Amino acid sequence: MIPRPDRRWAATGALIALLAIAPLYLSQNTYRMSVVTGAFFYAILASSWVLLAGIAGQFSFAHMAMMGIGAYTSGLLGRELGTPPLVGIILGMLLAGVVGLVIGFLCLRLRRAYLALFTIAFSEILRLILLTEFQYTGGANGLRLAPLYKDITPVAGYYITLALLLGAMALMYGLAGSRFGLFMRAMREDQDAAAAMGVNVVRYKIMIFVVTSMIVGLAGATFYHQVGILTPNTMELLQMSLVIAMAIIGGIESLLGAAVGALVTRIGLELLREINIFGLHIELGSWRYAAFGLLLMFTLRFAQNGLFYPIINRLFPQRVQRALMTKRGERSERGAS
Amino acid sequence: MIQLDVRNICKNFGGMQALKDVSFSVCNNELIGLIGPNGAGKTTLTNVLDGVHKPASGQVWFNAQRVDALPPYEVARRGIGRTFQITRPFLRMTVLENMLVPAMALHPTARKRELRRRALEVLVFLTIERLADEYARSLSGGQQKLLELGRLLMLDPQLIILDEPFAGVHPKLRETISQFITTVNEQGKAFIIISHEMETIFTLSRRLLVLHWGQLIADGPPEVVRKDPAVIQAYLGAEEKARPAAGGAGNA
Repeated sequence: MIPRPDRRWAATGALIALLAIAPLYLSQNTYRMSVVTGAFFYAILASSWVLLAGIAGQFSFAHMAMMGIGAYTSGLLGRELGTPPLVGIILGMLLAGVVGLVIGFLCLRLRRAYLALFTIAFSEILRLILLTEFQYTGGANGLRLAPLYKDITPVAGYYITLALLLGAMALMYGLAGSRFGLFMRAMREDQDAAAAMGVNVVRYKIMIFVVTSMIVGLAGATFYHQVGILTPNTMELLQMSLVIAMAIIGGIESLLGAAVGALVTRIGLELLREINIFGLHIELGSWRYAAFGLLLMFTLRFAQNGLFYPIINRLFPQRVQRALMTKRGERSERGAS
Repeated sequence: MIQLDVRNICKNFGGMQALKDVSFSVCNNELIGLIGPNGAGKTTLTNVLDGVHKPASGQVWFNAQRVDALPPYEVARRGIGRTFQITRPFLRMTVLENMLVPAMALHPTARKRELRRRALEVLVFLTIERLADEYARSLSGGQQKLLELGRLLMLDPQLIILDEPFAGVHPKLRETISQFITTVNEQGKAFIIISHEMETIFTLSRRLLVLHWGQLIADGPPEVVRKDPAVIQAYLGAEEKARPAAGGAGNA
């Protein structure tokens, strides 16, 4: 039997292997392929939002706006200046980071509801600018983006987005497990107490906005070069709420939980478009979002740690939980003897 | 040698003057009690000393460096550590993680293994080492107080400001905290202790500062401060002035 500490790695390896060979089945259907690729994209958005809000405690609604900044920058540079997509993506990521820095700086003194309202206002202003300045952005008709490279196939797009997801997860896990992550969690718990313990909260608060903005800026630019068209609606509050809901359903304090939550709900929402039960064909249309809303309400009321995080944690407990379980076991044994 | 030098500090909140021309100094290894009725400005003074509030006028010097314009994290790194009136542990972090926050902030290049070892030593000293992997939220109020003291030790400050360390704690824990203060003080650290527990603070401190309406009205040994008419009046009101001074402030 595999020891528990190694199970986590074994399961991660098995999951990556499964995702790596999935195109053998998925590539038979382009639609399925695009759904799963889109789910990877949402997994990056949800897990990076968890790093920002769940781990660092910065409840920002500007996440989709940062994604849009990365994507629009790359798209506009490509259209106006003929910048190659790869260069555009890097510049889009950098600009998202710079805007994240400004937002982080402006939000230094804002917490909870004030931070949320500030970032909602920022996102809406940005969306309305993009909608209004249609001579540059294409407005509601959208901005056309060149493909990542000539003759890119859906299978290549799948692997590129999967690689982005794995890279982002590795980076975020590295950060969350480092002293940076420790300070983030201390700030989330009590910003003043963290400062009194010598943590430079200003620096780390700005850093978390920069890092997460760059991650979603990179993801947005790369993904929308594959989709080919980008509209301001991708940055609207509903889309942001969808990402937050995915994170909550997955587990708001778990990067992996949020990623799994995004994958399952995104794919689930597509599967629920139309269902066949005992020969009865039902088109759910917008009703599937109502079902999604119910699931969210259930999670908030009965499973505040999310639906997937507790399962992951039970199957593969972290070091602290293992240590606690061992100690409690030892204590109860001592008590019994 | 003077470690902390507070010079003519004034602090206003809108029209209300919370601190008026407060001046005092703290030498190495001193153990000072800071008392005063509710609303006297004790916590405001603490917040000025640790950089949370900037004074309207006046200066704070620590180890010959001016610190009143520095942010709290920088003040903490220079050697002034504090606890809060209401304990504020990082609830959704383990006891050990709580201990590692100040250690890692202070020693960014140190090895984590070394810092963990030091944290466990401090937890042994505080007799809560068995709780190292428990989440802070699962600790009792008294254990959270001890954890807060442990975090302070990890910061290794030269001056420790404790805001109401004895409030709402069991007599046995009060004894443990008093013992902690005495031991750490003997190791060379200076203390400013804010407390309403008069008996404990009069026994523990070697010098008392008394604040009233933002003004420092007394500064001296406990036995002298206890008999100070201004202190008795501040605690008991003008009508009690005529009563015998002995035990007056001490029983307030």
